[in-house]
Amino acid sequence: MTDWGWVGLAFAVVYGTLIGYVAVLVRRTARLSRNREGR
Amino acid sequence: MIRHVTTLFVAHLRDERRAGEVMLVIVPFGTVALLVVPMAVGIDTPLLDRIGPGMFWVVLLLFGTIVTQRQSASLGESRRDMLTLLGVDPAVRFVAAALAAALLLTVFAVVIGAVTFVLYDPEVVDPGWLAAIVPLTCAGIAMVGTIAGNVAGGLGTRSSLAPLLVVPIAVPILLAGAQATEGLRMGLGILRWILLLSVVDIVLALAGVLTARPLEES
Amino acid sequence: MIRPLEIAAGLMLATALVLGLVVPPDAVQGDLQRIMYVHVPSAWLAYLSFAATLVAGVAYLKTRRMRWDHIAGASAEVGVLFTGLALVTGSIWGKPVWGVWWTWDARLVLTAVMFFVYLGYLALRRSFDDPETRARRAAVYGIVAVAQIPLVHFSVVWWRGLHQPPTLLRPGDPQIDGPLLAALLAAVFAFTVVYAALVSRRAEIARLEDLLAAPSADETVAGSGVSAPPIVRDTR
Repeated sequence: MTDWGWVGLAFAVVYGTLIGYVAVLVRRTARLSRNREGR
Repeated sequence: MIRHVTTLFVAHLRDERRAGEVMLVIVPFGTVALLVVPMAVGIDTPLLDRIGPGMFWVVLLLFGTIVTQRQSASLGESRRDMLTLLGVDPAVRFVAAALAAALLLTVFAVVIGAVTFVLYDPEVVDPGWLAAIVPLTCAGIAMVGTIAGNVAGGLGTRSSLAPLLVVPIAVPILLAGAQATEGLRMGLGILRWILLLSVVDIVLALAGVLTARPLEES
Repeated sequence: MIRPLEIAAGLMLATALVLGLVVPPDAVQGDLQRIMYVHVPSAWLAYLSFAATLVAGVAYLKTRRMRWDHIAGASAEVGVLFTGLALVTGSIWGKPVWGVWWTWDARLVLTAVMFFVYLGYLALRRSFDDPETRARRAAVYGIVAVAQIPLVHFSVVWWRGLHQPPTLLRPGDPQIDGPLLAALLAAVFAFTVVYAALVSRRAEIARLEDLLAAPSADETVAGSGVSAPPIVRDTR
């Protein structure tokens, strides 16, 4: 693998994880808001 | 206060004698582990001699954690409530529990040490130093284990949670013990490891005592 | 419902990403050195989160305000994430350089130990239903764990000091200056803002979850015809 390949892998892992975590947080917030309204 | 500690300490030991968990269950478990490792890594004599001391320390840490989480470590809900009602300081309970665990761990260490010696035939240099190193490591593991047991509370996930809580922060204890025995073998100075162990024990003792009351208060 | 902090974090992250890709390559390590722009910030945040979790735990014990527990838990969760990323990016950087995915470098070992301390802390938090018990126990464990960290540090450094691997690349070692340093600092700053945004959001989620779990004052007693249906909790 070329140097840029390794760099790409590292960047993909990091930024991908961050975006994924944000998505998880957004989904949980939405679900919580729905539950709250249902009360 | 010392009398409280002594009474509780004896109570723990008596509970353990009745339950027999350490000698009849955990010691055999640790022995089996030591037996099983050569089956996995090979019975090459120099190899076993090389890894023998390390295996001793690993088994002491991992299975020693189970010793600190034994059934008799907890005095039970009703006795604890009674102690609180009687105004016994939570720090006293911690000290008594940790001392009992340390004693049981030392016994455990002696037995496991003998097993290691028999199975792995390690070259033991200056065994006298072990008389200092082993109790210090056992005290450390006892204290971390007692704190972990108090913090983890409830019996459900406790058996798997406590080792996870203990082992990472017990790394200095493991390293000190292992590096000290390695150092003895290679003729290096080991005072720095004994010093480290002592500091670890002091820090843990302080942590255990100081957090005992905040842990209780609800 | 997106907060300004989150917008700022997103923009800064995008900027850091671009900078990391367009600045000139390092003279010695070439393009591979760019991994530093994600590895160093991750490692920095791993330690920052750790400290924040401790401070929040102590603050909880002093004030008994649940807000601090929510922050502690959020910081630990975000922290374990960044610690994991620090380890993975360290590995990815290491493989082409040393040919192995892992070496027993003191700093790597320390980061790994920290990762497991985080995991234990989070597992501990998960094991309690009652928020106050959780907060108290977690805070105490946090204090004990952090008190041990300097000792873990010394033990590992003394241990590895005897057999230091040759030419181990430290994130700070490549002589960086000028645009490369700027890119690195920008990345560290951006990631820190991202950390703040994530913790803020995650703490809010924790607060809401505790609220939903607790019986509210106007809830009627079981048996009444107007009680709400059971809420299915989102389990991780």
